[in-house]
Amino acid sequence: MLETVDLRKEYPGTVALNDVSVNFEAGQVHALIGKNGAGKSTLIKMLAGAITPTGGQIMVDGEPVSIQSPQQAFDKGIATVHQELSLVPDLTVAENILLGRLPRKKILGSIFIDWDKTFKLAKSVLDDMQVDLDVRKKASDLGVAQQQVVEIAKAMSFKPAALMLDEPTSALAHHETASLFRLVKQLAQKGVAIVYITHRLQELKQIADKVTVLRDGCFIGTVDMAETTSEAIVNMMFGEVVRKQRPVDLESSDRKVLDVENLTQANKFNDVNFCLYKGEVLGIAGMLGSGRTELLKAIFGAEKFDSGQLTIAGESFKSITPQIAKAKGLAFTPENRKEEALIQILSTRANMCLAPMDRISVKGFTNASREQKAVAPYIEKLHIKVADIDEEVAALSGGNQQKVVVGNWLATKPNVILFDEPTRGIDVQAKQQIFEVMWELSREGIGSIFVSSELEELVEVCHRILIMKKGRIIDAVDPAKITADELFVMCMEE
Amino acid sequence: MFLQKITKLAKSSILELVLLLLCVVLSFKADGFFTTDNFLNVLRNVSMQGVIAFGMTMVIISGEIDLSVGSAVAFAGCLTAVLTKTLIAAGLAPVAAVIIAILASLIVGFAIGSLTGYIRARFDVPTFITTLAWMTVLRGTAFLITNGFPVSNFPDWYNYLGGGYLFGIPFPAIIFLIVFVIVSILMDYTSFGRSVYAVGGNAEAARLSGINVKRVKIIVMGIVASFAALSGVMQSAEIMSGTATTATGWELEVIAAVIIGGTSLMGGVGRVRGTLIGVIFLGVLVNGMTLMNISEYWQFVVRGVLILSAVLINRAQQIKR
Repeated sequence: MLETVDLRKEYPGTVALNDVSVNFEAGQVHALIGKNGAGKSTLIKMLAGAITPTGGQIMVDGEPVSIQSPQQAFDKGIATVHQELSLVPDLTVAENILLGRLPRKKILGSIFIDWDKTFKLAKSVLDDMQVDLDVRKKASDLGVAQQQVVEIAKAMSFKPAALMLDEPTSALAHHETASLFRLVKQLAQKGVAIVYITHRLQELKQIADKVTVLRDGCFIGTVDMAETTSEAIVNMMFGEVVRKQRPVDLESSDRKVLDVENLTQANKFNDVNFCLYKGEVLGIAGMLGSGRTELLKAIFGAEKFDSGQLTIAGESFKSITPQIAKAKGLAFTPENRKEEALIQILSTRANMCLAPMDRISVKGFTNASREQKAVAPYIEKLHIKVADIDEEVAALSGGNQQKVVVGNWLATKPNVILFDEPTRGIDVQAKQQIFEVMWELSREGIGSIFVSSELEELVEVCHRILIMKKGRIIDAVDPAKITADELFVMCMEE
Repeated sequence: MFLQKITKLAKSSILELVLLLLCVVLSFKADGFFTTDNFLNVLRNVSMQGVIAFGMTMVIISGEIDLSVGSAVAFAGCLTAVLTKTLIAAGLAPVAAVIIAILASLIVGFAIGSLTGYIRARFDVPTFITTLAWMTVLRGTAFLITNGFPVSNFPDWYNYLGGGYLFGIPFPAIIFLIVFVIVSILMDYTSFGRSVYAVGGNAEAARLSGINVKRVKIIVMGIVASFAALSGVMQSAEIMSGTATTATGWELEVIAAVIIGGTSLMGGVGRVRGTLIGVIFLGVLVNGMTLMNISEYWQFVVRGVLILSAVLINRAQQIKR
């Protein structure tokens, strides 16, 4: 029904999707799976008309079509439910379903909304889906699962031939997931082609008829769910990886530099206990939403924790702020480089002086040449490619921006650095340089905590890996004795 | 290389060049423009608003705004007058009474401003709203403490602070230049100045770099309000009374000078030197138009057009980048 032929998307310097051909048939739930950056989103966005392909063809019912905008995707019968819910909170369910297409009537020559018809139409859409929901309720009064259903109803009201669901279960509780699956299967039985994007392996058995695996932008294969196993799919996702080793001279001592005891933040993480040793590179593996980012932020004081205690270099804290954390030798490179770590309109120099300003300035006074001198060693050490350090940092590439963030913190001479997804969106060479920085820090006796969605990276870089799931640390593993796909299965298991 | 340097310099000093051009044109077109007396006159006219403009530059760079400065000028003038009168009536020597009254006005100004900054940092109330509230509260209070009449019980020498000359230069202009130097050093050569830019550029990134964002906001809002109070003292000295109706609309003229000087309302971008030029530019323009007998009504229109053009030019440059 919906088909891609050698579909391709290139960005300057990278191929996001490399000649992918896949066929989504009517009446089937076809899952799309792959690691971060595998190309799932790119593929979906092109089918939804959010971005345009640089090569290949999209076919609907065997006819080549061109999809340049979301409107055209709707016209071709392709509807999408995005991961982020987009209901208008103050409007009713019915208005949300029929947003922009409310039925009208004329009274005394003026046009008014035909409310009776609106509610009737919305009700009929929900009835078709066999969902019992009051169409007069406000969207803001609904739970997340019900909002998800309204999103699907909104998509279904276009009577699409294909429905794409982008990680629809990511915000749902267990029992809500089950009812969502029933709904999705029903729609498939009515002949709708369902494209189901997920990174949750265990969902596939319950929901999917077919599975297509993407890796690094390439099509790896499509298999019938009935004829395959989870292990086979994991193998397809990860491929045969050459196992890289970290340098052998890295040692962690038995002196604790950071001790986390019973740390709890309601609905984020629960009773977390671990410690970090001098010179250790400690990985935290966990899926999106496992609480790993919140945990790092709480340790650094960027968010409050409810209970528990931190001990930094022998001193205990029941609560902490970023200023205190910095003063005690903690450093933190946040996950969202652009929003949380860098000040885009300021220069590279200014950005590298943010955290260490107290060390650079003398009695509160500073100047450009003093700052330049303070920053230069880190630009060299981190191989930051920058034409003019007084130019805006926004002009640098992602990898160089990340190194600016790291350099900003190295200049504070920390004892512990918390890295949250430091390798996201940067090229291979820059990644390797970031790893080398962590190893170099290890040699200098500085401990690192390394959070990454790229499990291969954790296996390659760390001394020890904690596994975090649903806000709890459930296990600690030795990376020498585990492979990335085994680690993946441990993170996913119910 | 040399040519490149010249073009770069010209680009970064575009406002100075336009100001120079304006002065040249006015020298030919406006009788009495190109005289020392007139230049000193311009300097005196701009200095009271100019003092506030330097504080406002810090506030806008930090990503905030203060709409209450006009009312704060009137309030501080009235407070100084009322306190002086009361203290003299209580038997204090005039000199002591005036000094205490001035200090009290400056401190009250700083306290009001830092409260605004605290409310911003602690409760996330936009300064746009808080200072809008202060705008009417301070104006109202100025009327309340003076009963709506000018209060004048200042000793004669007090007039020097607003109308006197030191080495032939108007006293307020000297204050204006001193404040310029202090704020320039503060913004360009101290870690506090750097943190003001950081907070305005991206408050979250600043916070996660261990910068005390709350403190920065409290201090900059306090500074602009105390500069407004200082301006209010000078103004009351010039007219020798505390008058609740003065300085209406000053907030707009002050903000206009800052924006014409190249400071971005989005925060994180701006130069104190730009504000100096912006203030003088507006002063020269008004002075020139007055000398050329152009109606005051036209002056309003020209000023508005100028503000819009300045912002458009800035935005266009940013978009091109």
